[in-house]
Amino acid sequence: MKKIAIILVALLTFSSGFKLDDSVDTNSKMKAIFIMNFTKLVEWPQAYREGNFVVGVVGESPMFQELSKMAKTKKVANQTLEIKKFDSSVDISKCHILYVSQNSKDDISDVLKQVKTNSTLIITEQQGFVDKGAGINFIIKDNRQKFELNKKNVEKYKLKVSSNLEALAFSVK
Amino acid sequence: MLTNSVFGQFVGKDNLSVALFYMQKSELDSAKKYIDLSIQEDTITSSPKKLYYRGFIYKELYKSIDKENKVSTYRLTAIESFTKLLTLNVDTNEFSESGAKILNYLATTLYNDAARLLDPDNYQTAIVNYEYYRNTMLVVNPNIDLRTQDAKFKLALASMLNRPAETEKGLDSAQVNQIEKLYLEVIAIDPNNPGANYNLAILYYNEAADIINNMDYDMDIEKLNEVQDHCIEIFLQALPYMKKSYELNYKIKETLIGLSNIYYGLNDMEKSDFYKAELEYLEAGDRHKELKIKIKELEDKGMNSAEEYKKYNTELQNLLNKYKDLEKEK
Repeated sequence: MKKIAIILVALLTFSSGFKLDDSVDTNSKMKAIFIMNFTKLVEWPQAYREGNFVVGVVGESPMFQELSKMAKTKKVANQTLEIKKFDSSVDISKCHILYVSQNSKDDISDVLKQVKTNSTLIITEQQGFVDKGAGINFIIKDNRQKFELNKKNVEKYKLKVSSNLEALAFSVK
Repeated sequence: MLTNSVFGQFVGKDNLSVALFYMQKSELDSAKKYIDLSIQEDTITSSPKKLYYRGFIYKELYKSIDKENKVSTYRLTAIESFTKLLTLNVDTNEFSESGAKILNYLATTLYNDAARLLDPDNYQTAIVNYEYYRNTMLVVNPNIDLRTQDAKFKLALASMLNRPAETEKGLDSAQVNQIEKLYLEVIAIDPNNPGANYNLAILYYNEAADIINNMDYDMDIEKLNEVQDHCIEIFLQALPYMKKSYELNYKIKETLIGLSNIYYGLNDMEKSDFYKAELEYLEAGDRHKELKIKIKELEDKGMNSAEEYKKYNTELQNLLNKYKDLEKEK
């Protein structure tokens, strides 16, 4: 029986290499899919429907990599997706969507100042930011990624929110 | 050509006696022929002697010409004969004792062959051989506890079945279910089996990660919510097993990564960061030990002014500034 034990033990040693698949950022992937949906459920003014569809990311965030990955294969209607990274609010240029990461060094008010009157959908991921100027804020409820919608903060930038988006939001203000 | 003198010695002899005659001469094919005839004579049950020698002759056939055959019918016939012998309602006698020993030997060969057949092409035969091994051992000793062996075999089988996961091919849902079942069976036998707990957690985690990885960016929100619900359930399935692995201090670095990632999948960033920080501290501890050894080696060589020495000391200092408790760890 000793020989058998050696065979089995050796088999276990060589074959116990279960590896965790850490190639996917589960949270960023979910958010990217939400953002893709937002491009379909929010309407931009006519002038914004030409040229590239620009999504800016403020602050260090894995969302930049994930959105860049998405941009390789997806378009928004006929517009090419372009992803930009802004290290600080002073670098912000005209965007369709501005994703403000929780790692952003700037205050949300500084970001809003830079957006000015551009037709930009501002998306954040910190509690309470939907009351501080964000149009959409990502939240976690029961371990699930959800989003809050502040219609006023969207519409003040001349964007139109579809009723479907309202229906899908966790909360609407 | 057999002569009359050869035939002559069989006159008046029964088939069993003839079989034994050939057996003693190692003419096993002839022995087999006559022992089978002998068994066929019996309408209800065969005598212990007949069963024993049938088993013995078939065992000898297996050993001499069929040892490499992992599905040897000679072996199975030998086992069948000895099993019938041992389950006869007779008092223990020389046949039973010797029969039990041979049956134990045959069970061992089944176990060995089951282990050798654990590859993608032959594992079904391995499972069959292992079942035969179990049933045979239970005949030899009805009170034997085979749970440890069962757990080992199932673990080895699960590991083998998981090999496609390490390639681009991945696992399909049927394979995942099969592996999951095996680990759950091991855990039912041994709830503190570290390998089964850890690997089951990884299996679940990878299943959910795979679903998320393959999601199309164009998926609508209703579908996204459904898929998210499903993945959360799977991450929650993984969690207790990874926590058990943590309790058991099994593959601690990999387990910490596992816990961090599972909590990340559950969108619990606080707990995810907690385990990430624990991993970083552990790795800092390892690096601390490594640096001290390297610095000592250079000191012993009198290389205190070398660039390398300065570099290691700087790194060590940075580590100690970040993790104040490291020096206290012995």
